[in-house]
Amino acid sequence: MNTHVKTPHGIQADLSRRSFLVGTAATGLVLGYAAVPGIDQALAAPSNFEPSVWYAIAPDGLVTVTCGKADMGQHIASTMAQIVAEELGASWKDMRVQLASNDPKFNDPVLGAQITGGSWSTMMNFDAMGRAGAAGRLALTEAAAAAMGVPAAELVVRDSTISHPKSKKSMSFADVVKSGKATKTFTPDDLKAIKLKTPDQYTMIGVSVPQLDIPSKTNGTAKYGIDVMLPGMLYGALVTPPVRYGATVKSVDDSAAKKVPGFVKAVTLDDKTATTTGWVVAVANTYSNARKAADALKIAYDGGPNAKLSSESLQTEARRLQALSDSGEYFVKDGDPNAAFGTAAKVLEAEYTTSINIHAPMEPMNATAEFKGDILHIYSGNQFATRSGAIAAGAAGLDPKYVVMHQMWLGGGFGRRLDADMMVPAVQAAKATGKPVKVIYTRENDMTMDFSRPLTLQKVKAGLDGDGKLVALSHDVVSAWPTQRWGIPDFLSPSVDKKGPLDAFTVNGADFFYTVPNHYVRAIKNEMAHNATPSGQLRSVAPGWTFWAIESMVDEIAHATGKDPALFRVELLDGKGKNDGGAQRLRNTLLAAMGLAGYGTKKLPKGEAMGVACVSSQERATASWTACVAHVAVAPSGEVTVKKLTVATDVGTQVHPDNIRAQVEGAALWGMSLALFEKATLKDGGIEQTNFDTYTPLRMSQMPEVTVNIIANGEKATGVGEPAVTVVAPAIGNAVFNAVGARVRALPITADAVKAAMKA
Amino acid sequence: MTNLNINGRNMSVEAANDTPLLWVIREQLQMTGTKFGCGAGLCGACTVHLNGEAVRSCQTSVSDAVGKKITTIEGLSAKGDHPLQKAWIAEQVPQCGYCQSGQIMQAASLLSKNSNPTKEEVVAHMDGNLCRCMTYSRIQKAIMRAAADMRTASATGSERRPT
Repeated sequence: MNTHVKTPHGIQADLSRRSFLVGTAATGLVLGYAAVPGIDQALAAPSNFEPSVWYAIAPDGLVTVTCGKADMGQHIASTMAQIVAEELGASWKDMRVQLASNDPKFNDPVLGAQITGGSWSTMMNFDAMGRAGAAGRLALTEAAAAAMGVPAAELVVRDSTISHPKSKKSMSFADVVKSGKATKTFTPDDLKAIKLKTPDQYTMIGVSVPQLDIPSKTNGTAKYGIDVMLPGMLYGALVTPPVRYGATVKSVDDSAAKKVPGFVKAVTLDDKTATTTGWVVAVANTYSNARKAADALKIAYDGGPNAKLSSESLQTEARRLQALSDSGEYFVKDGDPNAAFGTAAKVLEAEYTTSINIHAPMEPMNATAEFKGDILHIYSGNQFATRSGAIAAGAAGLDPKYVVMHQMWLGGGFGRRLDADMMVPAVQAAKATGKPVKVIYTRENDMTMDFSRPLTLQKVKAGLDGDGKLVALSHDVVSAWPTQRWGIPDFLSPSVDKKGPLDAFTVNGADFFYTVPNHYVRAIKNEMAHNATPSGQLRSVAPGWTFWAIESMVDEIAHATGKDPALFRVELLDGKGKNDGGAQRLRNTLLAAMGLAGYGTKKLPKGEAMGVACVSSQERATASWTACVAHVAVAPSGEVTVKKLTVATDVGTQVHPDNIRAQVEGAALWGMSLALFEKATLKDGGIEQTNFDTYTPLRMSQMPEVTVNIIANGEKATGVGEPAVTVVAPAIGNAVFNAVGARVRALPITADAVKAAMKA
Repeated sequence: MTNLNINGRNMSVEAANDTPLLWVIREQLQMTGTKFGCGAGLCGACTVHLNGEAVRSCQTSVSDAVGKKITTIEGLSAKGDHPLQKAWIAEQVPQCGYCQSGQIMQAASLLSKNSNPTKEEVVAHMDGNLCRCMTYSRIQKAIMRAAADMRTASATGSERRPT
């Protein structure tokens, strides 16, 4: 179990007279910061602890929910408002949202920090938002009861109105707030004791209400980080070195840049947080001039220790590490697979790889920094205000308590905006010029300096007994460790062999729900890749590669024993022991997807087939049970056309069905894009792909038919932003094998690889 | 001084002739609905209209826009109620929303000439516009919905016309 998933505690509330406030707060995790010298206290506890506020009701009756989560298109702000509105009894037309600053009072009630990822937001905030909403309803009702002179128990709350059916009296929320009589306060125990609605009482949860942010995204008024304009602001354009990480600037000749009108100065970053290396920012009065000046700078670099490395060298190093018996740490250690292989009737072994992948959100990275009095203000859409504020502080040489992060709408996140590199040039340029500075990456900066999905190598070995039963599985995962890079111990997990903490965000998913008596999973850090390609969390993180290996291998085993791959999975999902519950849900989801796709019932032409996969992404403790049937057509050239993706996902409880469909469809298409179209490569220490001509996410013309089927069985709400990413690549790979007998074990699946495997 | 006609208004800006129109619109005119995505004409986030034709404003120099009618997302309709904008809301298209100004402007240039496009025509016209959230199926549905609404409106004699 990952240690960052903790139970909420320390809930407090406050009501003020004029504008009525109810909220919950959690004490923060004490987040250590050992990896970065100089800013050890970067993530210290809040300087001013105040009872936090999740929403306020104004005297005009408008309810403004403050969302502590980054909204990058998952409409989480709207979802939070919906959960509050359900228990509060507010009308949807009265709901508004705003984005939180980095004040620790807006920390996630479970995670104790401001971080958005892991498909955690709904599941971890559902209870707190519901209780906050219910507390508001109780306080309003009590005040209304006193004002009307009737028992509170006889009041009905609906559509922002509190009514007393017997006397036909009623008051709007606005009336009650204006009266100033809502003064009930709640202790943490009071909040905990509130009886929340049961699902049969829901009138708002489960309804696809219009998303509150959408109108502003159809008329150009939604403000993203890149849209921030401050009086007297300058613009910064970056020059990043040819090597992804480790280069240093030897000299900067700005003589030509000085001839560019509006040029102010070139600032060579002195980044004590070690987030960036060898970056220079050219500052000018407009972005165009800053860009011209940046292009005119003549910079000499020392390429540093990674300047000769390539994807091939990282892969070679991964193979070397995997072959060592004592490398890495154990994430799962059940039974003794090595002994079992010795007595197995059949042993299968295969190596699976994934390439470097780039986030490439449509809004290039950017940040605006302004020093105002003692305070450093940062304007940027970011997924990890707690850490990013600390990085900004580190770049400025300030205590993090003097940094205010102004959250903006995110023009795509996908994990990229968990990182804080964009803060560094903005802060140092603002400091050097004494003016507010907005730094905007070019697409080339954005792609070549991405905190990418790491290149991975996985070796899976399976042992079958005489009856073809899977009795042993060992699984080695070699990669850079994206989450260890944060330097926050709470986000690491203890290894089962007590060799120290491991980065579970490289192996999550490998602790699957299949029953295999002897099962090892080893997490092996590829230090060379870790240093040369600082990796990040790309939508779905580890399950995006672990399930590629597992779900391919399970298919290979089924074919080796002459079983139907889907039915073989059903057999393995027997729900025994620790897999009880989860395995059955995953089995049911798989069967649903099979039924919906017509698996095994449709006769398909030659060269076409269906393939299945099923996953428990994201983490074992936070899974959404997801299955996919991919229907592909494979041409003699090896070219793969995906004709249809049928996805089923068990999300327990659905807050907003239409949003879930949108997220699951987007995630599935991400999965397909990563499976077929997206590949980055390292050469001479640098990422070779620089724009959308060479790094090519899926376009409209490549869209298959996608059907999304949501299973809502009343269990707790789970996340939907990521899980469907992970199920698609293995489903496609398995379908390709079923269609033409070609087993491809490297992502992305290319026509050449399919053709070569067809011949083999 | 360069004189531009943008969203029906004449405005003068100070910019070198080779400045991309995108940055003039965003910074000098402070109309930030038009987005920077790739700077190379590969993603469509910066799409605006020049005399009703969809162009990539990152690849259009400000001097090339002189004497032409520039339309941005802010000027597509008076109240954000172009049939495409209404359809975008009805179909709940945007996720992060960053590419959607460009998507809507690109789609508007199709519907102004062809109010009954086939799915293939929509795909061919829209394929240069990337959506990293992959909202493509909703974009298609919204275009079809807007096209139908525009046909209905013109059949019933409404004066609404696409720009």
